Amino acid sequence: MSVRLREALREAAAEVPAYPVHDRAVRTARRTRRRMAAAVAAVLVLVALVPVAARGGDRPSIAPAGVDGPALPDRIGLPPFGSLHATDRPRLGPAALIFSGQARGLTGLIDEDGTVGIVGADADRYRTWTVGFEAPAGEQVLLSPDGRRIAVPAGSPGHPGIDLVDLVDGTVRHLASPRPGSSLTRPAGWAPDGSALVVRDTTAANPEGSAYVDTLSLVRLDTGRAVRLLETDQLPIFGAPVAFTADGSRLAFQVGDKVLVTGTDGRQVTSFPLPPESGLAGKGAWLPDGSLALVSRDPDTTRWRLRRVDPASGRDLGVLALPAVDGVTTIRLLGWWPDGSALVVGYRPDPDSPERFDGPVDMDQRTVYPNVQTVRVLGLTPGAATPTTLLTAPDQVLAIDVADAVVRAGRVRAADPPSGPGGRFWWAAGAAALVLGGLVAARLLRRRRVTRGRAPRG
Amino acid sequence: MSETFHEFVVQRSPALSRTAYLLTGDHQHAEDLLQSALARTYRHWRRIHDGDPEAYVRRVMYHQQVSWWRRRRVAERLDATPVERGGGDHTEDTALRLSVVAALGRLTARQRAVVVLRYYEDLTEAQVAEVLGCSVGTVKRHGHDAVRRLRDLVPDLWEPTPERSGR
Repeated sequence: MSVRLREALREAAAEVPAYPVHDRAVRTARRTRRRMAAAVAAVLVLVALVPVAARGGDRPSIAPAGVDGPALPDRIGLPPFGSLHATDRPRLGPAALIFSGQARGLTGLIDEDGTVGIVGADADRYRTWTVGFEAPAGEQVLLSPDGRRIAVPAGSPGHPGIDLVDLVDGTVRHLASPRPGSSLTRPAGWAPDGSALVVRDTTAANPEGSAYVDTLSLVRLDTGRAVRLLETDQLPIFGAPVAFTADGSRLAFQVGDKVLVTGTDGRQVTSFPLPPESGLAGKGAWLPDGSLALVSRDPDTTRWRLRRVDPASGRDLGVLALPAVDGVTTIRLLGWWPDGSALVVGYRPDPDSPERFDGPVDMDQRTVYPNVQTVRVLGLTPGAATPTTLLTAPDQVLAIDVADAVVRAGRVRAADPPSGPGGRFWWAAGAAALVLGGLVAARLLRRRRVTRGRAPRG
Repeated sequence: MSETFHEFVVQRSPALSRTAYLLTGDHQHAEDLLQSALARTYRHWRRIHDGDPEAYVRRVMYHQQVSWWRRRRVAERLDATPVERGGGDHTEDTALRLSVVAALGRLTARQRAVVVLRYYEDLTEAQVAEVLGCSVGTVKRHGHDAVRRLRDLVPDLWEPTPERSGR
């Protein structure tokens, strides 16, 4: 049978003409070569571009303070998709500000993951840091006075602590809670020289967890030694905000409807009750003359002002000669511009919020995310009729913290927030291109080996 | 390089065309197959021209044909309906040849490659396995399946017609 099959095959093949394919085969081969060369060139270009893109063009890898020093950008954008993280190379260097909220890039795809945006001190280089839960900048995530570190709540409920993320060298130092048994630790304030951190702890008061106590401690970062400033039953407002004097020897903080002033050794100096619809102004609450600034709302309005009080007695020293801020849920005092202007954060109300902000609302509720649409940094210049808008932010950027160094510098720079994908995206794209190139090369190599090894005989 | 490749194609394209036709059963597909294999050969000519370029082309054709067949996902015809005999005005040998070509078209690409290598190229099963990059057992299985189906499709290959046997 195989004989007949062989004969039939040979007869079938005998009448087959020689196909004239030489020229077309050569053209096809040359076209394939050109395409392969183009593909390889594209991969090489992409790979070559990755470090450049990740570095942000020809910008320096570390920004010390810039040519003109730190400055406040006049606007911020949202972190680009695939932004570099705070500890990624190239390092960011000191930051001008940090911000958080519920805008794109500041939350997870599905749930709230509390990403904090970080902007460089002298240029629009953006980084991010993911806290893992809602943590407003300036309240639970704090930028150090020199802009070099951010203090972020971290750890687990059994072992809470604070991560100190260094933006200059990329290291992360974990600070364990100073309060034994604590279930939640949050930073509350930086000492002016960055050598100490005020820390808030919440601890179960009984095994059932039916009651909690709040603890405020001052932790020295060099020795880790903690000084307990206060411990009370849990209160809605506790140790927020914290304001250090310029020399760092005393600090004021709000607890409930009172302001307490203590030394860094924990010794209470004074305390006084707050008037209705007012609060300690913010981390910049100490005035150069030694008085304290409060924020207060004009009755039945959304207009907020700064006023002075005597820190010893709480006696009202009158409204500061600064413009009022209208149409906000509240304001928070960041510090003082060199020309005497107050730098404040204005919280614009969310139109969908059920709260009426011209009526009584607890101070801690005036800055919660659902009640805020966006934030502005405003300059309140003595003698001016209205505030000056120094920084704008996209909607749903709901909290912001500015480094003291930037406040002291007193400069605003024209910002140009990055657009397009961030550095991590380009690294991932480069890695994917490399893998793809490797697979293609391996495939070509394998084909070549197989072809060599299995050539038909005869 | 182009000159030498050109000479190679001129000298060997008749034989390669025949193999391509047997592998595809269609002149157009055979031409495409040979063109594709020669294009690849041209790209690697510098490396292979000192060896056995014809063997390289054949090997590429076998693999290319199997690959194309997979890509086109040609439905494998498992029915054993005998193929139509060649037209009535042909001689018996011509009719048988046409039937064989038609029957080859009903085999899988791998089966057809085994048949062409075994019964047209006269390679041993081990050599076929080497060319196709599979085990001898696989060659045996494909060969067995192919022959079984050819037997169903073209009974004349195994059962000589009276006229033919009477010659």
